[in-house]
Amino acid sequence: MTVLADLALKSAAAGALSLALGGAPLGVLLVARRMSLMGDAMSHALLPGVAIAFLLAGPDPVALTLGALAAALVVAAASTLFSRARAMPEDASFAVFYLTALAAGVLILGRSVGEEVVHALLFGAPGALDAHGLILAASAATATLVSLAFFVRGFLAEGADPVFMRAARAPGWALHILLMMLVALNLVAGFRAFGALMTVAMMMIPAASARYWARGYVGQAGAAILLSATASGAGLLLAGMFGVEPGAVMTLAAAALFAGSAVVGPINGLIQNLPGRAHLEG
Amino acid sequence: MSAVRLRNLTLGYERRPAVHHLEGAFAEGRLSAVVGPNGSGKSTLLKGVAGAIRPLSGQIELSGLKPRDIAYLPQDHGISKTFPMTLEALVSLGLWNQRGMFGAITLKDRARIADAFAAVGLTGFEHRGVDQVSGGQLQRALFARVLVQDARLILLDEPFAALDARTTADLVSLIQRWPGEGRTVVMVLHDLDMVRKTCGDTLLLAREAVAWGETESTLRPENLLKARRLSEAWAEHAHVCHHDDAPAPEHGDPHASAHSHP
Repeated sequence: MTVLADLALKSAAAGALSLALGGAPLGVLLVARRMSLMGDAMSHALLPGVAIAFLLAGPDPVALTLGALAAALVVAAASTLFSRARAMPEDASFAVFYLTALAAGVLILGRSVGEEVVHALLFGAPGALDAHGLILAASAATATLVSLAFFVRGFLAEGADPVFMRAARAPGWALHILLMMLVALNLVAGFRAFGALMTVAMMMIPAASARYWARGYVGQAGAAILLSATASGAGLLLAGMFGVEPGAVMTLAAAALFAGSAVVGPINGLIQNLPGRAHLEG
Repeated sequence: MSAVRLRNLTLGYERRPAVHHLEGAFAEGRLSAVVGPNGSGKSTLLKGVAGAIRPLSGQIELSGLKPRDIAYLPQDHGISKTFPMTLEALVSLGLWNQRGMFGAITLKDRARIADAFAAVGLTGFEHRGVDQVSGGQLQRALFARVLVQDARLILLDEPFAALDARTTADLVSLIQRWPGEGRTVVMVLHDLDMVRKTCGDTLLLAREAVAWGETESTLRPENLLKARRLSEAWAEHAHVCHHDDAPAPEHGDPHASAHSHP
């Protein structure tokens, strides 16, 4: 296909596929744990890290990535510590940390020419996915899938019944931190190409849609990967055709798939729940 | 022989004692009830024995029991109904103590899970999601998980709250088999008739042990009256405890967390 002949678009497609493989299964865990806004919070928190990196090293891609990663990990660790101390509900501690981070980022950017940073955070630039960027995205996906394969029992148990896991002396906090780090890694891998907020969208919207397709975690993760990859493909093609920002179009495509899932999905979809069909089961 | 011995045990939250100076033991292989008015520290005691909170002072001695030998079913079970999990996956969590995060689940384990489903009358519900079952069915599944845990000490906090008579009767008959298998059961109950029918021993709590021993002698009217008076006393006009960890007045009410002391 002529559109895909464009190298930048090919890179973007590979990056988006990595994001689907890594981000979507994490999104399913976050949705299930009622932490849907956590990714959002963390993406805002990238701002000061990227801004400081920009101040120190200019628009160097490695520096921007490291800055983002450092900021995301600091916010993830700090808010985890606060909520584990049970002084604060997790969403509240996230709100505190990400708004603080956002304010710090705004302050730093106000003192420098940060257009590149703001643009990267909001829109992303698919051209930014050079070889390094692709390796990072593929590594994030690999690390995520390997971690999920190893620790899936722990993630599910900790998410479904944290009280039981505490009584069983399971290392819930370690699993929690691992989950946060994986979210941070995928976010950082995606933000320069697709924008931080749009990267989160590709993590969370397919995950939410997947609840209309499957009941168990594995089914939902598989559905989320497929939905995310489909939305990315469609979004990239449409963005290429109309010359607009791909991150936003990918997100809108994911939202369209969400709407479609909510109508035709076999689990609590609108059609499934029509009067007369509601009592077919059990 | 005692499975759990409490030595001058005080438990509480954020340095505020909820239950004081408990001294006594839950006998091994017995069904013991913990009863008392609301706020008397029953759930706190179970949490402490389960290891979910640390004692403020005193000790809990578990004779030869490791954490993996304890099954604890709290009152607020904390199962997230939004979580994509089938009843089978929920019940198989009971294997955590034996298999941990990475251990393979064997055919024998699967057979035990199936047996547990049968024992609680949930065969055929294995693949239902936790969001697809009633409160009673979820409680049955949690009992199946306790069965799979194969624990020597089983702690149940108001296990029959909000259950219908049939489910309660089924689960009671399940529990009554456990002492015969050498398991020690401690359960928090409100229904004193049920306590008299099912539990050999009873601890009557009112932030301190009012009475502890054979159920019939513990649940004598004078003890129940004393428990009620004590729990009322904590609400108002009580002396302040001179324990090191005495609670600070709360919410502007100088009597709210004061309590009397023998």
